[in-house]
Amino acid sequence: MDRWWRRSKGVNQTLVATAEDAPPATDLAFDALYRECRDDVYAYVASLLRDGPAAEEVTAAAFERAYRKRGRWDPKRGERRAWLFGIARNAALDELRRRGRQAELAADPEDLSATAAPHESAEQSARRLAVAAGLSRLDPRERELIALKFFAGLNNSEIAAVVGVSESNAGTKLHRAVTKLREACDGAD
Amino acid sequence: MEPINENELFQALEELRPQPRPDFAAELDARVAAGFPRRSRLPRLSPAAALNRLRSLKPRHALVPAGGLVAAMLIALVVALSQAGSSSDDALISGDSTTAEMHSESSGGGERFAEPGEGFAEPKAVTPFSEESAGVAESLAEEQQHQPLAGQQQHFDGSGPYVRGADDLTNLKNRAIERSSQITLGTEPEQVGKASSEVFDVVHDYRGVVLSSRTSDGSAAHAEAKFELLIPSGKLGDAMAGFSRIGEVRSRHEETDDITAPTVSTGEQLEDSRARIDSLLGQLSEAETESEREAVERELRGERSRAAALQASLDNLERRASLSRVSLRIVGGEGISNDEGGAWGIGDALDNAGNVLGVAAAVTLLALAVLAPIALVALLIWLGRRTYLRRSRQAALG
Repeated sequence: MDRWWRRSKGVNQTLVATAEDAPPATDLAFDALYRECRDDVYAYVASLLRDGPAAEEVTAAAFERAYRKRGRWDPKRGERRAWLFGIARNAALDELRRRGRQAELAADPEDLSATAAPHESAEQSARRLAVAAGLSRLDPRERELIALKFFAGLNNSEIAAVVGVSESNAGTKLHRAVTKLREACDGAD
Repeated sequence: MEPINENELFQALEELRPQPRPDFAAELDARVAAGFPRRSRLPRLSPAAALNRLRSLKPRHALVPAGGLVAAMLIALVVALSQAGSSSDDALISGDSTTAEMHSESSGGGERFAEPGEGFAEPKAVTPFSEESAGVAESLAEEQQHQPLAGQQQHFDGSGPYVRGADDLTNLKNRAIERSSQITLGTEPEQVGKASSEVFDVVHDYRGVVLSSRTSDGSAAHAEAKFELLIPSGKLGDAMAGFSRIGEVRSRHEETDDITAPTVSTGEQLEDSRARIDSLLGQLSEAETESEREAVERELRGERSRAAALQASLDNLERRASLSRVSLRIVGGEGISNDEGGAWGIGDALDNAGNVLGVAAAVTLLALAVLAPIALVALLIWLGRRTYLRRSRQAALG
């Protein structure tokens, strides 16, 4: 390694690549996280709130909160996606508290049926309605697990971090929720 | 419908997944690209704008910074007060230099210091002061009649030169004043022996008496000398000035006690007693019977004994007035100022560093004492709020 007294003599110009224009690493990481999770976060929040405009507002607020805290994320405390969904979960629950509304996980079945594709078969449509009905019969916490897994696409480790349980416990609960959903779908028939 | 299998379930859930509106997605993309400008990037405020913003703060929000400001001011006040206290302590502690100043002045004004004793009671004879020789009679006489007219104590802590007032001088004429002094000198541990011999020289120069002396050589912690001296009162000032030149004056204490009343009273009683003896002698020569002579002789013996006791008491009182008792102590090592010793050195640097660290530790302790309860309360509030939030969020979920 060069020491100051070993530096070349006669060099009167130093070329330095300025990094001022380059965005900080935290901004880049946040940008990547946003692009990866935008729709997932919205889906999860919308599932919790069952209100499109409110879901948009809460999703934006969650991303803004995450943006402001982006420098404080600690890799030792979990995955970045889990961290973001934790923020989104708190924002959504705060909104629910504020409005005093009970969480409803599933989207409105009527809305879903209204948006059914024209080429969709009757059997497919009936199956989707049955699943939506089954979701509505689940316990809210189980519905949240389903939303985190299938709407947000989190793995068991990330779900555990978001809801604050161990990974094995999250897996067990999720398996139980899926089983109950299937039973509920069959019962809905 | 057939029972739903796992794949069909997952496919149905995928179809049920809510999707954001394209407009919302585009708007959010733009906000993220801009870095949420309205909230996350605060504009630089001008002083006026900052003031307006402060004014617009809700009282609840202004409470925290105001509390912090008040706490900071309190801490600053406590620190300032403690510093003021410590600086006054330092002034007392650093009396060495001022004491040295006093020493030089008093040595210059030594004659003035000696004036009060002059003309009062020049010692008739310099004899060792003996506590035993005082006798019971002196104690009795003192107990009955010794009511000090003006007991005075003067401490010399180096705060200024010793100058006795003119009124004192006139009042002290023809009065019997008992004076005693304590002086502590500081010197290097290896110089204690030399200083002790100089003490003897000064005592000899002023025709004083060394009642007792004890000198211990050795390390700084043990090098010490103690003297109990009798110095003629008329030369006490000069002698004290001489002692002050031996070493660094650490402390000086002067005490005066007016013993005029017991001296006068004892003298009068002695005169009465002598008159009584003369009278008894006259009676004895005129006694006609044996029994009468024996009675007069018995009374005469008692009166002579009383006169002897009174004489002893009077002698002792006069000795106390003519000879001043001086307790002199020489200590080695500790606290010797380096003003005379030369440049500021490693030891001084370590001392100063220790002092600075001590002050820093004290200030930190004070700050902790103020901040710790505030922090504890804030922590409890934060924990309580967090617990409440968590529970209410769980309740909101169902």
